[in-house]
Amino acid sequence: MTCMLNSFGYFLRETAHSLIHNKFMAIASVLTVTLSMFILGVFLAVVLNMNHMAGYLESQVEMSVYLKDGLTTEQVMGVGQRLKALPDLSDLSFTNKDQAMEEFRERLGDQAAILDAVNGNPLPSSYRLSFSRPDSLKEAAAQVSQYAEVESVQYGQDIIEQLYKVSQAIRVSGIILIVFLAGAELFIISNTIRLTVFARRREIQIMKYVGATNGFIRWPFLFEGMIIGLVGSGIASAVLWELYKVMLNEAAAAGLLFIPFIGIYPFMLHVTLLLLGAGILIGMLGSAISIRKYMKV
Amino acid sequence: MITLEHVYIEYTKTKIALRDINIHVDKGEFVFIVGPSGAGKSTFIKMLTHELVPYKGSVIVNGVEVNKLKKSKVPYYRRKLGIVFQDFRLLQEKTVFENIAFVLRVTGVRGKKEIREKVNRVLDLVNLRNKANAYPAQLSGGEQQRVAIARALVNRPTLLIADEPTGNLDPATSEEIMDLFNNINHMGTTIIMVTHNKDLVNAMHKRVVSIEDGHIVSDVKKGGYDLHA
Repeated sequence: MTCMLNSFGYFLRETAHSLIHNKFMAIASVLTVTLSMFILGVFLAVVLNMNHMAGYLESQVEMSVYLKDGLTTEQVMGVGQRLKALPDLSDLSFTNKDQAMEEFRERLGDQAAILDAVNGNPLPSSYRLSFSRPDSLKEAAAQVSQYAEVESVQYGQDIIEQLYKVSQAIRVSGIILIVFLAGAELFIISNTIRLTVFARRREIQIMKYVGATNGFIRWPFLFEGMIIGLVGSGIASAVLWELYKVMLNEAAAAGLLFIPFIGIYPFMLHVTLLLLGAGILIGMLGSAISIRKYMKV
Repeated sequence: MITLEHVYIEYTKTKIALRDINIHVDKGEFVFIVGPSGAGKSTFIKMLTHELVPYKGSVIVNGVEVNKLKKSKVPYYRRKLGIVFQDFRLLQEKTVFENIAFVLRVTGVRGKKEIREKVNRVLDLVNLRNKANAYPAQLSGGEQQRVAIARALVNRPTLLIADEPTGNLDPATSEEIMDLFNNINHMGTTIIMVTHNKDLVNAMHKRVVSIEDGHIVSDVKKGGYDLHA
């Protein structure tokens, strides 16, 4: 470590010299890293937003508990008491048969006359429940559907499950893509560094003979890879950030704000840090792969 | 200085490069290693520089048990050796001065004044101070080899290893280079030199170790190239 600190200036000079010497190759790999990091970032933003939406919708979902016909007031009140005791309940309201009919009429609007043909009131009375935690809703639904007084329990499970399926598919394909892109970046960076290493193989050989430590020989190349990764992912992050901002503004202008997008800050900061970290790591790894062969003397 | 006991080195499982090598070299000695191509001379040198590690036997150099050296200690061991090659191995894009200073820099020397003093000292030793700012391509073969020798000496090694140092040079220049090695030896540096050059070996009257087919066939104190034959 002391060797590393003493030699830091030397490493930086060597790295700068090498990057300038191979500037076209360096620029080409920076651009390739930028492109793949950008695609990676887009996927990350999409997957995270999908997750966010699914979580949001889930938290918005209400559960309707439809009661059997012909229950006494005590039985109905008793169900209400038990529902009140459910964990994480945030809201509870009761709709009797008449209110349900009224609501139904309103919803039908002009066609409400159809209902005049119906004998009596076939609609059940119901409780409507909201929960602060989606998981509690699922547990409560399973539990409440067992009550003797309850005809059926409904909540937006279909929508949520659909949403989860979609987001799961995006997540899986996103992960595959991320692995693929990371592999490609690794290949590109290690190839660039391989050229540098190859151009300097005699120097490396002499360094080995005169007793330079492996760390000393390695660091300038590692720095080079890290800088390519850092600059590439930095450009990609900046573009992504700007694009996300534009997208949010467009969505607002088009009146799509009911879609629960993740706010730009600190979300984009996290995405940026993640991309920068990945860029540095991949750059370092790519270099390490390239120099391994030349370190064995 | 150097003690080898029952050293065996293999290239592959079936091909043995050196077998049962036993030799002792005192501090300040000048030893020629001779023998036909493929006899194991280069392997012998690679063993001293820890490029090859014997699978049997012990190699002790400067009190260091080289065959048991940890990977992380190898660079520090090599700093006490000077190595000279047949093909000089100078960096073409660096000046003479920079080629030598490079060795100091990569082994952690940072002071500009210290580097200048040390480089000038070895340049004086090989009599090339006036070519300090020249590039290797501007020098003759003999001069390039002198730069390589200066580079090998800059860390003040106690052991100087030379692998066919005159192999690329004409006879007159080879003699000059040999004189230089002789001077360095007189200043106290132990020298191990692999060579094919009969005339030089015969003229020097130094210790000659002959290797054939992977083992030592003769070891003569003030020998000549053909004495063992």
